[in-house]
Amino acid sequence: MEKRVEEPRVLEPVRTRGRRGSLERERRQAYWLVAPAVGVLAGVALYPILAAMWLSLHRFILVFGEKRFVGWGNYAYLLGDARFWSALGNTAYFTLVAVTVELLLAVPLALLLQRAFPGRGLLRAAVLVPWAIPTVVSARLWAWMFNPDSGLINRLLLGADINWLGSPGYALHAAILVDVWKTTPFVALLVLAGLQGISEDIYRAARVDGASAWRTFRSITLPLLKPALLLALLFRSLDAFRVFDAIYVLTEGGPANTTETLSIYAYKTLMRSGDFGYGSTLSVATFICVVVLAAVWLRLLGREEAAR
Amino acid sequence: MVRTLVFTVVLGLAVSLGQGCQRSPGGGRGAPGATRLVLKYQPLWGPPEPFRELLARFERENPGVTLVTEALPNSSDLAHQFFLTALGGGAEDFDVLIADVVWVPEFARAGWIADLSEAFPPEQVRAEFLPGPVEAAVLEGRTYAVPWYLDVGVLYFRTDLVPRAPRTYAELERFALEARAKVPGLQGFVWQGRQYEGLSCNVYEALWGHGGRALGDGGRVLLDTEAGREALAYLRGLLTSGVSPETVMAFGEEESRRVFQEGRAAFMRNWPYAWGEAQKEGSPIRGKVGMAPLPTVEGVPGFGALGGYQLAVNAHVSPERKKLAARLIAHLTSHEANLVLAAHYGRNPPRKAVYDDPRLKEQAPFIASLREMVERARSRPATPYYNLIADVLQSEFSAAVAGLRTPKDALQRVQRQVDHLTGEDR
Repeated sequence: MEKRVEEPRVLEPVRTRGRRGSLERERRQAYWLVAPAVGVLAGVALYPILAAMWLSLHRFILVFGEKRFVGWGNYAYLLGDARFWSALGNTAYFTLVAVTVELLLAVPLALLLQRAFPGRGLLRAAVLVPWAIPTVVSARLWAWMFNPDSGLINRLLLGADINWLGSPGYALHAAILVDVWKTTPFVALLVLAGLQGISEDIYRAARVDGASAWRTFRSITLPLLKPALLLALLFRSLDAFRVFDAIYVLTEGGPANTTETLSIYAYKTLMRSGDFGYGSTLSVATFICVVVLAAVWLRLLGREEAAR
Repeated sequence: MVRTLVFTVVLGLAVSLGQGCQRSPGGGRGAPGATRLVLKYQPLWGPPEPFRELLARFERENPGVTLVTEALPNSSDLAHQFFLTALGGGAEDFDVLIADVVWVPEFARAGWIADLSEAFPPEQVRAEFLPGPVEAAVLEGRTYAVPWYLDVGVLYFRTDLVPRAPRTYAELERFALEARAKVPGLQGFVWQGRQYEGLSCNVYEALWGHGGRALGDGGRVLLDTEAGREALAYLRGLLTSGVSPETVMAFGEEESRRVFQEGRAAFMRNWPYAWGEAQKEGSPIRGKVGMAPLPTVEGVPGFGALGGYQLAVNAHVSPERKKLAARLIAHLTSHEANLVLAAHYGRNPPRKAVYDDPRLKEQAPFIASLREMVERARSRPATPYYNLIADVLQSEFSAAVAGLRTPKDALQRVQRQVDHLTGEDR
């Protein structure tokens, strides 16, 4: 077998006057070319964020036409707001458990999907169905299945009498189950992409060395899969942290706010109560949490990339 | 009132898409210079013709006006959300709107609905309509809305399983437990315990039954009271004593109705609409259902929560349109219109005189029989802050019913948050 040798290619800028001038020009041109995109982003992303931050410093209740600057007042109330902390706790718990379970299920699923067997294409497509169904629709389906009286789940559990969406201990876990059902295929696909990036040669070498299946998985698959796993972790945890639709349809945050996440709390304050000031404060708090989470993952991912 | 099952929301949305902007028949396209008058309402769920005929009559009586009806989702919360953003943004594209009884003070204070005192003098409204809905429509001596139809919380019971309608809470619990002991697998008393507005209605009814009031002096929402604690303890007690199944914590109107209708519960608290369903052809409990006022501590007939809708005028439209809009409201809330809504849609008339009309007894005997309960119905606290605090109340009530917090703790938390939102703590 012939080994392909890559020519090392080194791009050394040739330092001639004319070249440099054209590089400068190209750079300027590049700025102009991305300017429209940056402008659009500033308009649709930056402006709302800044506006929300500005609003969060006000007592602004729509129905009263009352808008008054209160400085950090809303944030001071937020720190003592038991409902905020329980929403944050629910969100963190939801994210942690859902994403962990999804990753644990997705890796075996991806390994299975990678194998060559008849009907693989069909299975790969079929696995995506839960992910393709709009969350609102699938959540509604699950709400019916969770119905304590006539739902499918209690029947499958041989007539168990579990009040899935009505009792504080179960409701959040039911929501996690729905999320896991929906997004595991997506994570599995990300992992599958990672798996396909691993060269077959390494496995052949491992087989020659007589490594066991477990050893191969631990020493080859898992380490080489790490970037893909980290990416999945990044996508999913940011997504799960902002969870809204599934919970809104299943429980609307009840019972007793035990399934209330930060987005649900912010939505209720903003849209149901029309309390734009405090609602914005909650949105900004959510935004900060997501940014911190993203920063941590990106750092880890960056370190991983650098190590390679 | 709130029939907030999410699938009905979806249904409502489907309906609003389907008939989103429906020109009423009879008027046709109207002359080129015709005035379009837009009514924002919720579907009435029934045969479409009688309501269309009602609208067509208005067009015939007001040449040059074309009526357009626009349907909203069938959930009170979502409809409120729509008006919050539309009226808050100064929308002028609808003239007459429905308002849940608890929204009127809020919208009036915000200046979003017009003062109708000229067309409907407060004294006249007081004289012609039942006191409950008037309390929600006439504020500080000005008329802001006109009652359209009513809804009231009532107690349903199985005449074959319990000796008679219970008058006190103790009787209700005893009858329910006795019925459960006789019939295996039977539930006692089902009601609405999910975290939503229906739960609040159940809590208010218990509060009134325990001799409490939700409004203190000067219109302050005051819930951390002895009666409040007793009401929540009573509801929690229904679950712990086995009178009600734990599953009521996931129930809205439809879930509780389904259990009752399948013959699996002895008692149910619900709105009058459930009667028609229970008595339908093929219903397992047909002919075995009784209806009574909710019980109280002392045994006097209880107070059902008042639901239903009022009609109001968008304050942002021009004076001429306002005049026309007031005419439309007068037409839709007339004695005759009350009769149409009662006979074809099972909606309770808010006009006193309609209950004395022999045609009501003939066309809608069930509605006529509700008179006493409707007269006793109480409105939830009439405060501009209602929707601002509703969410807080729902979550703390839910916590108390679920047993996560004692009634005392829950009500203290309610009071703290409510006072913050209403600015009482400043």
